[in-house]
Amino acid sequence: MININNILTKIVILVLVIIFISSFSASYNTLNLDNSAFVVALGVDKSEADKLELTFEFLATSPSGESVSETKPVLNSVQCSSITNGINIMNSYLGKKVNLSHCKLIIFSEELASEGISNEVYSLVNEVQIRPSANIVVSKCNTKYYIENSIPSLESLIPRYYDIFPNTSKYTGYTCDATIGDFFNALICNYCDPYAILGGTTNSENESSQSNSSDDSTIKSSESPITGNRLSQNIGLAVFNDDKLAGELNAIETICFLSIKKEVDNFLVSIPSPNDSNSKIDIYLTPNSTHNINVSLVNGSPYIKLKLDFSGKIYSMTRNSEYLDINILNSISDSCNNYLESQFSSYLYKTSTVFESDINELGSYCLSNFLTTSDFNNYNWLDNYKNATFDVEINTVIDSGFLLTQT
Amino acid sequence: MTKQKISTVSAVMLTLSIVVSYITSSLPRTFINETKSATLLNIIYITMIVLFIILLFCKLLKKFPGLDLLDISKFLGGNTLRNIVGTLFIAYFIISSSIMLRNFCEGLVVVYYPLTNYIFIILMFIISIALTNRLGFQSTINTASIVFPLVLISAILLFCGNLDNFSFRKIYPVLGDGAYNTFVLGLKNIGAFGGICYLYFLPPMLKEPEKLKKIAIISVISTGFFILLCVGTLLFMFSFFTTTDEIMPLFSAARHIEFGTFFQRFESVFLLIWIISFCCYLSISCKFATHIFNKMLNLSDMRPILNIFIILIFAISLLPKNYAVSNFVETHIYRYLRIAVGFILGMTILILANFKKRKVGDKH
Repeated sequence: MININNILTKIVILVLVIIFISSFSASYNTLNLDNSAFVVALGVDKSEADKLELTFEFLATSPSGESVSETKPVLNSVQCSSITNGINIMNSYLGKKVNLSHCKLIIFSEELASEGISNEVYSLVNEVQIRPSANIVVSKCNTKYYIENSIPSLESLIPRYYDIFPNTSKYTGYTCDATIGDFFNALICNYCDPYAILGGTTNSENESSQSNSSDDSTIKSSESPITGNRLSQNIGLAVFNDDKLAGELNAIETICFLSIKKEVDNFLVSIPSPNDSNSKIDIYLTPNSTHNINVSLVNGSPYIKLKLDFSGKIYSMTRNSEYLDINILNSISDSCNNYLESQFSSYLYKTSTVFESDINELGSYCLSNFLTTSDFNNYNWLDNYKNATFDVEINTVIDSGFLLTQT
Repeated sequence: MTKQKISTVSAVMLTLSIVVSYITSSLPRTFINETKSATLLNIIYITMIVLFIILLFCKLLKKFPGLDLLDISKFLGGNTLRNIVGTLFIAYFIISSSIMLRNFCEGLVVVYYPLTNYIFIILMFIISIALTNRLGFQSTINTASIVFPLVLISAILLFCGNLDNFSFRKIYPVLGDGAYNTFVLGLKNIGAFGGICYLYFLPPMLKEPEKLKKIAIISVISTGFFILLCVGTLLFMFSFFTTTDEIMPLFSAARHIEFGTFFQRFESVFLLIWIISFCCYLSISCKFATHIFNKMLNLSDMRPILNIFIILIFAISLLPKNYAVSNFVETHIYRYLRIAVGFILGMTILILANFKKRKVGDKH
C-alpha cells in the first residue's frame, strides 16, 4: 500500500536538496581550489597618473592542486585606481579568482607610504580573506622589484620563507614581526602609531649596498653590507605618523623598539671595551621580565621613566681574556649600561622629536593618569608625545662567556 | 511541554545557551562601544544588579512554588492577563530569535558564503530546528548541555590563545566615558542577561523545583563570567571596537589565534561550535514560545504549533531589508525589548501577585 506521507516527505527532501545544491554551488565554485589563484605576496606601489600599481605574487599549482616546489615566482602587475579594482581586473586576466587567504606579505612602496596608506589598509582589512597575521613591509625600492628579488636561497617554497623571516626578530632584533592586524589597530588607536618592516634590496648579487654605517648595528635595508643570491633585505623598521611614513629605524634602534615592547628574546650588541676604547666586546643579551615603564605628567608634558633589565653573556673572546674576574665583569656591565642607555635615549628622542610617533604604545602607560576617556582624548597624547622627557635606567648583569671563561 | 523533567545542570546550560547567541553577534561590540575602557567594570556592576534582581525573583516566587509566570499572571489578573503576558512573551521569543538569526546568517554570508543568498542559510537553520523539535525538547536540552561546555572551552581558548596580543592597560581610564555613562546609562547592558526570561517558565519543568534559586544564581554568575571573558578578550586585544564596527567581533578575535606555523585558522572550529549552540538557542526559544501558546489555549499536541512558529521565525527573519536594518533592530530596539519584557514585565507581575497573595491571605 502506498503511503502518501512517505512520498510527500521524500519529495520535500529532494526539493530541499536541489535548492541547497543550486544555492551553495556558487559559493563553492568561487572558493574552489581549481578556480582560485593563491596570492602569497601583494605589492602596492604608486604608478604614473596617480594610480596604484598592484603586483601579485602567485603560487603556481599543479593540476592536482598541490603546490609546485619551485622558487621561481609567478608575478603579475596591474595599474588600477583601487586595490579592489586591481583584484577584479586580475580575476578577469587570470580567468581565476584571486584568493588572498594565503597572502603572507603585503608590501607598500616608500613613495606611497609617504603619502598615506590608510585607505589601502582599510580596504585590505575589510577583505575577509586577508589574515590579520599577514606581515606588512615598506619597501625602499619598487615593490615589484622587491618581490622579484625575494626568492629564498635556502628554502624551496616562497611562502615558507615569508612565514619564517619575521621570526628572526626574536633572536636578532634587527627586524620586526609587524602585521597588518597590528597596523590597523594602531591606525585607529589614540595613543599609538603604526609601524612596518623596512624592506629594500641591494644593487646586485655580488655587490653590497652603499653602507655609510661605521657600526654593524646601525645598518638598515638597502644600506647594509650584505651580498648574496637574494637581493631583498628586511632590516630595520618603517615608522608611521598616523598613516604616513615618518622615517626609518636602523638595526640597533629596532632592537630598542622590540626590547621596550618585550618582543625580542635575545640580541647581540657590540659595546666599547672598558679597557680599550678602540676595541669592542660582543655581548649576547636577554631581556629580563622585570621591565618597568612609568609615565607621569609633569607640567602637562609626559615624563617617561623606563627601567630595563638585561642579563648577558660575553660572546667575543680574545687572547688574555679574564671573564671570571668579578671586577672585569662589573666594568663590562657598566660599559654595557652606558652604551644601552645612550642607544635607548637616542631612539626614544628620535621617535618623539623627529618622527613624533609613539610606536611603542607608551601612551597606554599614561591611561591610568586619567579618570575618563574624554579627559585622555582632550589631553591629546599623540600631539604631546613630542614634548616627552625620557629617563632611561638600564641594569645589565654580565656573566662570563660560553665555553671559554678565560684565555 | 515535555513528559521528562529538566535536571538542575541542564537548566543552567539552557539559560547559558541563550547568552552564547548574544555574545556571538553584536553584544560585545555594544558593550565596548558604550562603556569604552570601563566595560569590565560595567559587566561586574550589572552582574551584581542582576544577581540582586534574581534573588528578589526567587523570594517573590517562594509564594508560588512550582508555578510559572503564566500561572501567576492568571492568579493576578485572570485569563485576560495570562493571555496578554503569554502573547508578549511569545512575540519576544519569536522576534528576538528571528533578528538574531538574521544577523548571525548575515555574518556567515560575509565569512563563508559570499555568493549564497542569506535566505538559504537561514533556511538551513530553520530545517535544523524543525528536525530538532521532532526529536523532542529533551534532545535539545541534552545537546545544549554538551555544547555549552564546548563553547566555554572555546571562549577560554580564545582568551588564552590571544594572551600575547593583550594589553591589560586598556582597562584604563577606569571610568571609561564617565561614572554616569558607566553606572547609569550602562544599565542598558542589563539586557545581556536576557536568559533570565526563560527562568520565569522553568519551575514546572524542573525535576527539583526547590533548586530554582540555585539554578538562577549559578546562571547569572556564569553568564557574567562568560560575558566578562568574551568582552575582555576584545577589550584587551583591539582598540578599534570603540570607533569601528566589525560584523562578528569574536570571529575577528579568533582569527588572531596561532600556535606557531602549524596550528592556525582556529576560527572555523569556533564558528562550528557557535553554529551548533545557535541552533540550540533557536530550538529553545521556539519550544518556550510553543509551550506558552499551548498553555494559553490548553492544547495537548504542540507539534503542529511548533512548525507554525518555525515558519514564523523564518518569515520575520526575512523582514529586515538589509544587515543595517537588522543590526539597528538588534542594537537599538531588541536590547530595550529584553529589558522591558525580561525584567520590567516579569518582575512587575511577580511583585503585584505577591501583593495580591498577601491581601488574599490577610482576608482569609
